Amino acid sequence: MNVEIKMLKEFTPSQLILVCGLPGTAYIGKLSVDYLTKELKAELVGEVYSKYFPPFAVIREDGLVELLRNELHQFKDESGRTIVFLTGNSQAYSPEGQYEIASAVLDWAITNGVQRVYSIAAYITERSFETPNVYCTTTTLALLEEAKAHGAQLLNNGIIGGENGVIMGLAKKKNVEGACLLAETRGYQTTTGEDVIDPRAAKAALKVLTSMLNLKVDMEPMEKQAVQMDEAIAKMVEIERRIREEITRSGKKPAYVT
Amino acid sequence: MEKETWIERRGDAELIEPIAVVGSPGLRSIGKLVMESLIAKTQATLIADLYSTHMPSIYQTKPSYAAHPMLPGTGGVIVESGKVDFPKVQFYACSTPSLIITKGYHANFEGQYEVAVKVLDFLAENHVKRIIVVAGYSSKDKKICGAATSKELVAEMKEKYGIDIGYTGPFMGFSGLVFGLSKRKGMEALCLFAGTELKEEDMEFPDKEASDRALDKLSKILGFH
Repeated sequence: MNVEIKMLKEFTPSQLILVCGLPGTAYIGKLSVDYLTKELKAELVGEVYSKYFPPFAVIREDGLVELLRNELHQFKDESGRTIVFLTGNSQAYSPEGQYEIASAVLDWAITNGVQRVYSIAAYITERSFETPNVYCTTTTLALLEEAKAHGAQLLNNGIIGGENGVIMGLAKKKNVEGACLLAETRGYQTTTGEDVIDPRAAKAALKVLTSMLNLKVDMEPMEKQAVQMDEAIAKMVEIERRIREEITRSGKKPAYVT
Repeated sequence: MEKETWIERRGDAELIEPIAVVGSPGLRSIGKLVMESLIAKTQATLIADLYSTHMPSIYQTKPSYAAHPMLPGTGGVIVESGKVDFPKVQFYACSTPSLIITKGYHANFEGQYEVAVKVLDFLAENHVKRIIVVAGYSSKDKKICGAATSKELVAEMKEKYGIDIGYTGPFMGFSGLVFGLSKRKGMEALCLFAGTELKEEDMEFPDKEASDRALDKLSKILGFH
């Protein structure tokens, strides 16, 4: 089986809403969904396994082995509505796998009466900003107007890379109402090419999402994380600036210039 | 060709509740060396070969277990003593102790899940309930540490065999995926990681001393010397 959704307990949703935030650029989707899962004490109800995840296992600190997987966490609000958060430690590595996993999750959600799908992704920009914008693309014009009323801006053109984008495209194909929120980020990477997390962008996406979902969530811990990351990035930028100045002053050229 | 991964039977073995022991070429070749020593020591006989169109004869990644989707390897055959054969996973059996010794081989990036699932299906068909994986991990301490599929097994490793947990992080290649998938196939598994020093220029350069330590610990677990 290429994709398997394994339910861990009885699942009886009502007015189901699916929120997807898989790891991607600056981990905005994953940070946002992990944060909501933790703050709302959402309960793990299902796991998604697939041969399309990168082929290795992970040994945890408690000595247990686990496969790469996606997880489904449910939160039932006071009105009885069920919100399921989809996240995990990996996305499928290939477009084929991303389509298959997103399609399987959507079919599972449709079987369970899903009413709306949200996904959270990154919008990489070179613009300097204090507060990141949140852009939005939706499957219907009515939902676009709703998203705009909650602080999102229209995404006119662009590409949404990975599964957080594929799931929105497939939602439209399968006639499920959906909105993708894209938070602005500079998309910094470490010297070894790894994405640097961007809690500032995740916080911006969450502001729009929680408003649309009418959820009350304490954002203070996320703000603290954002301040710490602002400081770390400021230091990184300052070091880069000094190195550039040093190179200019000494007349040295990088070794690869011949 | 219809099937991408298939098993060819080479012999029969009537085993009672066999334990599967799994190892493959990997860090400092510890898993491979232990399997070869164990096969020689127990005089185990070949019962099956697993072939797959996902197995390269020449790896484009170094080390071989660091599979990459852009570097699928090169198909081909392996010639040994003038005989030609495909790359393969091999299953050996011995009755005392009751074991299926699995000598692994790394498929390419896309085929690793398929091969690992097929291996586990074969072990399940042969009534295996417990798997012991042997591999290496980078450490200057000449220690054996462990990992397992359940908290109970982690506790058993500590209490019965004096093995602590230690290594954390990714476990790549054939053995890692067989270990990771075992619980989902209804089998319990534990892994012995033998500490070995990295040799950056050749990650798979054999470490005989570390593999002997792992074999010694494995022999104690299996109850023979």
